[in-house]
Amino acid sequence: MRTDGARRRPEPGTIAVIVAVGGFVLLQALMWLGVLNPYWQQVLNLAGITLISALGLNLIYGYTGQFSLGHAAFYGVGAYASALLTRSLGPGAGTLLLGIVAGAALAALVAFLIGLPILRLRSDYLAIATLGFGIIMKVLLDNSDAVIPMMGGSSGMSGIARLTTFPWVFAFGLAAVLVMRNLVFSSVGRALVSVREDELAAEAVGIDTTRYKTLGFVIGCGYAGVAGALYAHLYAYLNPFSFDFLKSIDVLLVVVLGGLGSISGTLVAAIAWTFLLEGLRVALPASVQDWRMVIYPLVMIVFMLFRPGGIFARTEFGFLKPRARRGKE
Amino acid sequence: MSALLDVTGLLMRFGGLVAVRDFALQVDEHELVGLIGPNGAGKTTVFNAITGMYRPTAGSIRFRGREIAGLKPHRVYQLGVARTFQNIRLFRELTVLDNVRVADHHRGEAGVLHSVLRTPKFRNEERRLADRARELLAVMGLEQRESEYARNLPYGEQRRLEIARALVSDPKLLLLDEPAAGMNPYEVGQLMELIQFVRERFRLTVLLIEHQMRVVMGVCQRVLVMEFGEKIAEGRPEEIRANPKVIEAYLGTSEG
Ligand SMILES: Nc1ncnc2c1ncn2[C@@H]1O[C@H](COP(=O)(O)OP(=O)(O)O)[C@@H](O)[C@H]1O
Ligand SMILES: [Mg+2]
Repeated sequence: MRTDGARRRPEPGTIAVIVAVGGFVLLQALMWLGVLNPYWQQVLNLAGITLISALGLNLIYGYTGQFSLGHAAFYGVGAYASALLTRSLGPGAGTLLLGIVAGAALAALVAFLIGLPILRLRSDYLAIATLGFGIIMKVLLDNSDAVIPMMGGSSGMSGIARLTTFPWVFAFGLAAVLVMRNLVFSSVGRALVSVREDELAAEAVGIDTTRYKTLGFVIGCGYAGVAGALYAHLYAYLNPFSFDFLKSIDVLLVVVLGGLGSISGTLVAAIAWTFLLEGLRVALPASVQDWRMVIYPLVMIVFMLFRPGGIFARTEFGFLKPRARRGKE
Repeated sequence: MSALLDVTGLLMRFGGLVAVRDFALQVDEHELVGLIGPNGAGKTTVFNAITGMYRPTAGSIRFRGREIAGLKPHRVYQLGVARTFQNIRLFRELTVLDNVRVADHHRGEAGVLHSVLRTPKFRNEERRLADRARELLAVMGLEQRESEYARNLPYGEQRRLEIARALVSDPKLLLLDEPAAGMNPYEVGQLMELIQFVRERFRLTVLLIEHQMRVVMGVCQRVLVMEFGEKIAEGRPEEIRANPKVIEAYLGTSEG
């Protein structure tokens, strides 16, 4: 009995691809014409990487409702693992791909090992466990040179090949968005959200909540691993500072500002936030950098007071919605 | 023939407080049984023990001959025991349709990979889930509401949505915890008819908690009365009405 006018329109997936290809060609053209100089190209790449990482955290926190304070540590796992791999195997597109896969897999595995025991318990233990994991990771990375000299310890790891280019970031960013869209608009996605909404009620309707909390956490951390691997080969240098607690808060801020449970929100916020930070870095003196930890909480508080749902408040761009739902919401 | 649900010697202790003691309950297939008693008598605690929300301190709970005491709630549900909550617990930020179809998720087989790749298996399963959920929404008179957020429904519709959600996965046994709470007499009458109807249509066995005695008297074949964690009476409605212990338990509550 449903008269579904939306059925006649092109599939949102098609629109998403058109938007994506168009965006890619436009950005490539801007680079080629020199409008986007190498510095801003680098920022654009960083924005894409931030997007991938933040999508992962949004899956964990925004969709599944599990609060993680150690997202950057999983990002670090992906970064160091992939860097070790490409340095050992020699640079090349193949080894970068392998490095990304390995970085994602290792981050996901570590998440599984941490998540499985912790996520049986109440949600708030995950925040503590991931906070602890972040601190342990920092200590391990600071002293990594004692075991693996190549990792450089607290002075950082250098000699990584610069393999991450804009097409790589774009391809993975696009894949990250589409995979996330297909995941959250599916029965599995609804199971994840039911856990966020009411864990007890989810159990009462047959959802194995421990399993789905772990699933969301593992996939989300896998995203962080991908982002970390791309990051490592963008700057060719890794420092433990880049993966500490403040970095975890960075990503959290992007997710909250964009809107918990909105892919579109994370997309917009990741790009806007990265460019804003870089813009401020260029425009303002270095001492302002020290104020980040004052500015962040303020921004967070302002949003929580005036727009608690973030910019997108659980809505999506049309092309990020599945077909059957369009026109009915 | 053994009972569909067979609870014996149930003891539920919280620290020093004994919420339910020496409780027994047998429900046969297709029966509609009422569980009544004053507030705090231990009715909800019995439901929580049956559905795996609480692990019984002692006692046995058998469903279709199988011991289910101490199983996780999702396992109990998957075996065919569904419930509603005294204080409605919907997924407030999910749509009406999503609330219902997520409760059928466990029967699906398309996991993450099929979802991400949008395979034919995934599409078929999504269609099946949506069709089944819409069928239940139609039964509950909510088919016009499927795209609303659950939190935006009026109270009576939220109650009906919770029942639709509990029915979507073809349970054998339905536990309703004060479904008539907060309704006016007209709505209560309609709800009772609805419960009768779904019981016939889905060949359900129903266990119904109510604290107003009047409500269950009309529909239940058998009524159990609890007070202070113990069963004080059991029988046909007219027997219960005449039982002096029951009258005493309800004295002063003006609900006899
Ligand atoms: N999780 C719990 N912890 C402590 N006490 C509880 C718990 N659940 C129920 N109780 C107590 O058990 C008693 C029975 O409660 P309940 O089963 O909700 O009563 P009813 O549903 O008959 O109104 C009450 O005294 C209540 O406070
Ligand atoms: Mg109760």
